[in-house]
Amino acid sequence: MSAQRFFHYTIRVYLVVFFLYMFLPLIIMSLATFNDSRFPTVWPWRDTTLRWFGELWADTAMWEALGTSVVVGFGVLALAVPIGVSAGLFLSTYQGRAKNFYYSLMLSPLLTPGVIIGISTLIFWRNLGVSGGIGLTIIAQTTFIAAYVMLMVLARLQRFDRTQELAAQSLGATHAQIVRRILLPYLKPAIITAAVIAFLQSFENYNTTLFVRGFDTTLTVYIATKVRTGLTPAVNALGLIMIMVTVLAAVIYELLRRKDLDKAGKGT
Amino acid sequence: MLKALTDRFGLPVSVTILLLLWFWLIVLVILPQLIMIDYSFRPNLLPAQMGGPEDGYTIGNYQTLANNDIHRTIFFKTIWSSILVTFLTLVVCYPVAYFLAQLASTRQAMLIALLLVIPYWINEILRTFAWYLILAFQGPLNAVLLGLGFIDRPIRFLSGDSGVLIGMVYAYLLFMVFPLYNALESLDPNQVRAARNLGAGTIRTHWRIIIPHAKPGIATGCIMTFMLAAGSYAVPALLGSPGSRWFTQIIYNWFFEGGDWHMGAAYAFVLLILCIGFIALVMKVFKIGLGDIGR
Amino acid sequence: MDSRVQLQQLSMSFGDFTAVHPLDLDIRSGEFFSFLGPSGCGKTTLLNIISGFLTPTSGTVTIGGEPMASVPANKRPTSMIFQNLALFPLMTVAENIEFGLEVRGISKPERRKVSDRLLELVDLTGSGDKRIDDLSGGQKQRVAIARALAVEPRVLLLDEPLSALDLKLRQHMRSELKEIQRRTEITFIYITHDQGEALTMSDRVAVMSAGRLQQVDEPMTLYQNPATPFVAEFVGENNRIAGEVVGNDNGRVQIKHPSLGVLEGISTEAMAPGTACSLYVRPERLRLVGEDASPVNRLQARLDVVNFEGAFLMLESSIEGLSDPLKIQTEHSTMPASLTKDHPVSLVFDPADALVMPESAAEGGGHAQGLD
Repeated sequence: MSAQRFFHYTIRVYLVVFFLYMFLPLIIMSLATFNDSRFPTVWPWRDTTLRWFGELWADTAMWEALGTSVVVGFGVLALAVPIGVSAGLFLSTYQGRAKNFYYSLMLSPLLTPGVIIGISTLIFWRNLGVSGGIGLTIIAQTTFIAAYVMLMVLARLQRFDRTQELAAQSLGATHAQIVRRILLPYLKPAIITAAVIAFLQSFENYNTTLFVRGFDTTLTVYIATKVRTGLTPAVNALGLIMIMVTVLAAVIYELLRRKDLDKAGKGT
Repeated sequence: MLKALTDRFGLPVSVTILLLLWFWLIVLVILPQLIMIDYSFRPNLLPAQMGGPEDGYTIGNYQTLANNDIHRTIFFKTIWSSILVTFLTLVVCYPVAYFLAQLASTRQAMLIALLLVIPYWINEILRTFAWYLILAFQGPLNAVLLGLGFIDRPIRFLSGDSGVLIGMVYAYLLFMVFPLYNALESLDPNQVRAARNLGAGTIRTHWRIIIPHAKPGIATGCIMTFMLAAGSYAVPALLGSPGSRWFTQIIYNWFFEGGDWHMGAAYAFVLLILCIGFIALVMKVFKIGLGDIGR
Repeated sequence: MDSRVQLQQLSMSFGDFTAVHPLDLDIRSGEFFSFLGPSGCGKTTLLNIISGFLTPTSGTVTIGGEPMASVPANKRPTSMIFQNLALFPLMTVAENIEFGLEVRGISKPERRKVSDRLLELVDLTGSGDKRIDDLSGGQKQRVAIARALAVEPRVLLLDEPLSALDLKLRQHMRSELKEIQRRTEITFIYITHDQGEALTMSDRVAVMSAGRLQQVDEPMTLYQNPATPFVAEFVGENNRIAGEVVGNDNGRVQIKHPSLGVLEGISTEAMAPGTACSLYVRPERLRLVGEDASPVNRLQARLDVVNFEGAFLMLESSIEGLSDPLKIQTEHSTMPASLTKDHPVSLVFDPADALVMPESAAEGGGHAQGLD
């Protein structure tokens, strides 16, 4: 066996180990949901039960936290998507000297630790008389989620053939018509992806939310609190449901995207 | 600036774009940071002392950090551990990214990408919680190790830093894999073949050809991982013990237990400076610009 | 319908670089007019000015007698076909064609009538619901033409639209374009670097170099009576022999080449003896002759290359004292079988077929860079 074959063989074994490392924790966490034990564990296995789903269902605090997360998620989506799209359009149009400066500035929220975004937002808005809560959580999360949207929109715009705009203009279209009929339809897939990602990012955010949430509790904050105080396998049940929903969403999204690609022929 | 926009989008759309952009950059990004810095240089005063002789700029908050042995130790431990996490993550991810970008067939690559994306979408808290269960004193890991006879007594993984390190590598893996993959994907496989043809071994090929090509990806991945690790609150809060506190936990305590926001702002600013310093260092070492990040 | 296009003292600069030097031009109503020149000569800049995408540094554009200075691109009576076509990939063929009418607020049934008629015109009946990606290169070309015609422009601007097609299709589309132009009576302004396209389709051609008009004429005139050395060399094949004027009578000019001796040609302008000049003679005007031919304009050369070009042969022969080999186009029948490579040959040309131009006419023949 040559050294290269050995190398390729080793890397495949490594991949198997790597994915065990990736998935084993999630599997163990999911399994523990069904163990009839007061503390979530798979060892020792006492009895198989579904009662933790029932307990979760009856937990009003959980439902309230879920509601808060959904409101925050849609709030962030409504704010971050228009901002991110604007930023992408701006960067793909403006060619001035300060372009790199603007790009760096727009990227900076992604390179800033989440806790600092939370802290600075909290301090800034308190000076204006706004204290922590759902509104401030939306604002703080938008600060960095808009940057994700910007990157996705920019990536798609970089593959855009701008002579299409000239062609539309030459055919008599106004600027607004070009934006509505040419640019936005082209950006649609990126905007949809960005909206989904913005929502998920918001939903799972912890570090930033922690500082600006006031007395409101999002689902992620709720889980973290539960883990530290009053841990029961009901948390696992919630985790399992969230995993299922995310996987389902990922698969549906992927299928839709492929269907869209098929419709678009060789893809655009 | 307005001219370039109006030439392309017309006036109403351009104005909307600029308003949204300025709102984001000024109100959400720049001003809060500036106010936080301003805050960090002011003392924590009682309402009665406002406007009094003590109401001015001071570096007292920073002196507190410098003089507090425990806080200083935790600060340096956070730096050191974050570097360790970054390095471990790079080592763990490199083979995966390399396989995905260079060796995998199209079907394999799609499968692997999907397998990577799924845990990425699962909540950081949940992923950390999963490790909490595994590493528990009476958890499955100890049970397996005991059963195999590797250890005589269960290990308290969650009382030292080891749990935090394991959890962080796990939580931030994907912020390393994808930048690495993006950089490695653009490497022409013929370069690797050429290097082999010229007699370079596997390790030499990686060291001289592949890793230099992946530099922007390595830099981006390291910056992201370090920033996430140093700024992490969830992982140390869940997997750490009182004995293994993280710098972010001290900041949190200043805000919500100590009630001294000015002190908290100063500590937060130090953390921000640390991250900026790390970014600058990585960019200098790898000779890349900010424009290469995120592309 | 008056669709004259007049350019008056039109010029364009980008910073220090002058893409178009001030020029005047009158394009007639319903004319197929081409701008021909190498890339960077300023022809695309001119097209973008006429379409309204660029604002000229100075001068005016008038279409059908109306000044265009304050008319934005989307309000001009022009429409443009782009080099890459710029079809809208997310719309169907019919939606593409109807786009210009849609933005004018014309109702859907009305639009459909127009696109059906245009699809018929470009031979794509029934393809209205196809996706752009499902079309071949030639079909895309036709959709682009139909889309541009749908808005009933007075002037159609074409920016090298055939350059992406393969040779056969290109030649076919040339005749289709010409046919469409004849039927619609729209003024076509066509820019190309391909002289074949310009010469076969156009009523008149403007040859451009380095931002200046070199000559504006009918294709035949351009070929037979080039006004400048640039045109002589750019349009068709030509052989150039540099020399100096030694004699001049009644349009006949004698020039002296240091090693070839005295040669005779014709000229439209009087040149004083001693003027540096070039003599141009087309490959098809050079004849292979025996040793006994007339001594006027006779050249002794050595055969280097024989290229079979299908209908004719193209020979290259080098002459001592000339840097470039002479090109000779000849019929198979007049080519003695004994003639092979390295064989000495004698060449003659009729003085009436040789054009002599002063070197100074080469003004503006420098190379422009950075812009097309």
